[in-house]
Amino acid sequence: MQLIEKLTVLADAAKYDASCASSGAPNRSSKGKSGIGSTNGMGICHSFTPDGRCVALLKILLTNFCLYDCQYCVNRRSSDVPRARFTPEEVVTLTLDFYKRNCISGLFLSSGIIRSADYTMEQLVRVAKLLREEHEFRGYIHLKTIPDADPLLIAEAGRYADRLSVNIELPTESSLIRLAPEKQVRTIKQAMHSIHQGESEARAEKRAPRFAPAGQSTQMIIGADATDDSTILHTAASLYGNFRLRRVYYSAFSPIPQSPNTVPFEAPPLLREHRLYQADFLLRGYGFEVGELLSGPGNLALDIDPKLAWALNNREHFPVDLNRAEPAMIARVPGIGVLSAKRLVALRRQKRIRFEDLTRLRCALEKAKPFIVTQDYRPLQASRESLLLRQQLSETPAQMALW
Amino acid sequence: MHHASFDGSFAGWREVARNLVQHGIPPHQITWLGNNDSGGLFDQAPISLTSTVTNPAPRIPKQLLELLQSAAHFRVEDRWSLLYRILWRVAMGDRAAMLPGDIDGSQLHKRLKAVRREAHHLHAFLRFHPRPEDAEGPQLVAWHEPAHDILASASGHFAERLGRTRWLIATPDDGVYWDGQRLHYQRPCPSEWQRMAQTPEDTGEALWLAYYGSTFNPARLNRSALETSMPVRFWRNLPEGPLIPQLMSQARAGAQRDGQAETVARQGGKRIHHPNAKPPPINENDDLDRPD
Repeated sequence: MQLIEKLTVLADAAKYDASCASSGAPNRSSKGKSGIGSTNGMGICHSFTPDGRCVALLKILLTNFCLYDCQYCVNRRSSDVPRARFTPEEVVTLTLDFYKRNCISGLFLSSGIIRSADYTMEQLVRVAKLLREEHEFRGYIHLKTIPDADPLLIAEAGRYADRLSVNIELPTESSLIRLAPEKQVRTIKQAMHSIHQGESEARAEKRAPRFAPAGQSTQMIIGADATDDSTILHTAASLYGNFRLRRVYYSAFSPIPQSPNTVPFEAPPLLREHRLYQADFLLRGYGFEVGELLSGPGNLALDIDPKLAWALNNREHFPVDLNRAEPAMIARVPGIGVLSAKRLVALRRQKRIRFEDLTRLRCALEKAKPFIVTQDYRPLQASRESLLLRQQLSETPAQMALW
Repeated sequence: MHHASFDGSFAGWREVARNLVQHGIPPHQITWLGNNDSGGLFDQAPISLTSTVTNPAPRIPKQLLELLQSAAHFRVEDRWSLLYRILWRVAMGDRAAMLPGDIDGSQLHKRLKAVRREAHHLHAFLRFHPRPEDAEGPQLVAWHEPAHDILASASGHFAERLGRTRWLIATPDDGVYWDGQRLHYQRPCPSEWQRMAQTPEDTGEALWLAYYGSTFNPARLNRSALETSMPVRFWRNLPEGPLIPQLMSQARAGAQRDGQAETVARQGGKRIHHPNAKPPPINENDDLDRPD
């Protein structure tokens, strides 16, 4: 098989992993040195594909040959897909060529399980070691961690990679047992724990070698089982809390060729994935708790975003006076983000906030209007019922049907 | 109306602007003339900068100078008036003029954002083409068409990225060459550089194009997200540009059922028999049989 054919197969096999971030790495530079590659903490999207997703890394599998039979996965052993396998040298060649062309900022390497978890993990580590040591590559490397692999191999991976990730795959243990019979929540969490420990040790000791400085992430597949958003977000919150994950990626289940009948034939609406990302953002950046966004079992609303939904359910906190309120409360106003909240606080040290200031800060005024008070503005809708407001602010059905 | 003429550079503008503030000349009395502009018919003669200074040098925050310098890279008909108006207001004690919520400050920050974004576009969407191994001069060349004057300030990024590799970037206006040790910036861009960057002898793009086509998930086609993130004006200089409409129409023509790339779907598949504790049957496929 030619290199180009392998690439075609093994990029197709890898694309269901949503993560492509190249951010969070420490400052590294090749200026005046042999070798190539730099990182500065900021991610760069070098291209976008027509699905709107960012291409930051060369995202491929080392091989899509796999012993496991995860029902949602295109590479499961019972799947009738073409199979291929790169040599480590081929991956190195592709990475360096794309990097010089400025098509990517690094490599995201994963693999099907061949022979054993340890053997597979060794192969992944070998590619990273070749890149770092033989070719003095200083770009971004993200390695997928195989859950059952020896912690020593995970430790070695952490020395070469900027980011490690173990996929939690599904939000509940029962779904994992049903759909991914060879995988176990216990070993997945053990691997997350090993990575977390490696990170903590490297941080505690100044002269310790670096360990996955861009941290760890995971992915959860949405819509391959019947789990609701509330359970999904609670699982995510516990992963953030227990293992200090940088990101949980939500990947709407994408129908695969010759889908087994254990998984749905249709994808969930992309909008559901979008709402989960919005909620996740509120958990990480805005100080929201899962219980505030969803008080009981159920899904996030599709027609309005989760912050607006929270505001409509908690009208007693509104309207918020932008000239007096705490910055954290301003950031909880629908249509006003953390950055705008900061800017408003800076501005009100100079003058009283007026309504037109919000226009200039490009806040989402239609959303914010019912919830704010400024020097020259009080909302007429302040007393309007939440139900009516919701009808007024809900996104049109045309937008809902992104699918 | 006063003419304020200078060489078109930020340093030149800064000199003149400082003098004007010291002379107490308010923004509405000044017409800014960059290097190629000429004044209006009825304008007064250029003010003499040698006349006695009437006020002490204005005191402004250092940060403002950085903001103004960066905003000066924004290409617009009259890029200097706004900068002077803000300088004037801050020098008079009205610091709100620098803030994004202010009437002038919001314009300033809009320009700053556009300039930052355009620098980021350079780092993201520029594509280098390798030149033949034995070629002298640059080993990598790129043609790029930025919307603002960001090349000089933003191209150092590639020296960090590419180490001792020699590279050249040419644009319609300016160009930069890294000889492995130092940056050489030229404005206007030498035509030799432009020719080299626009006609690379590069035959190695097929791998990247194969990757781009395969990493796209046709079941998630989302044109508007693509266009928001990667403005259409960049497509023509991207090797994958011509592929975009092609992949979109294939996806619409039915491939939206599942995520597999058409080129992969056309190939024969292979199920793996469960080995159940036996070693994987990797010798069933030539490619999987390679000794490690």
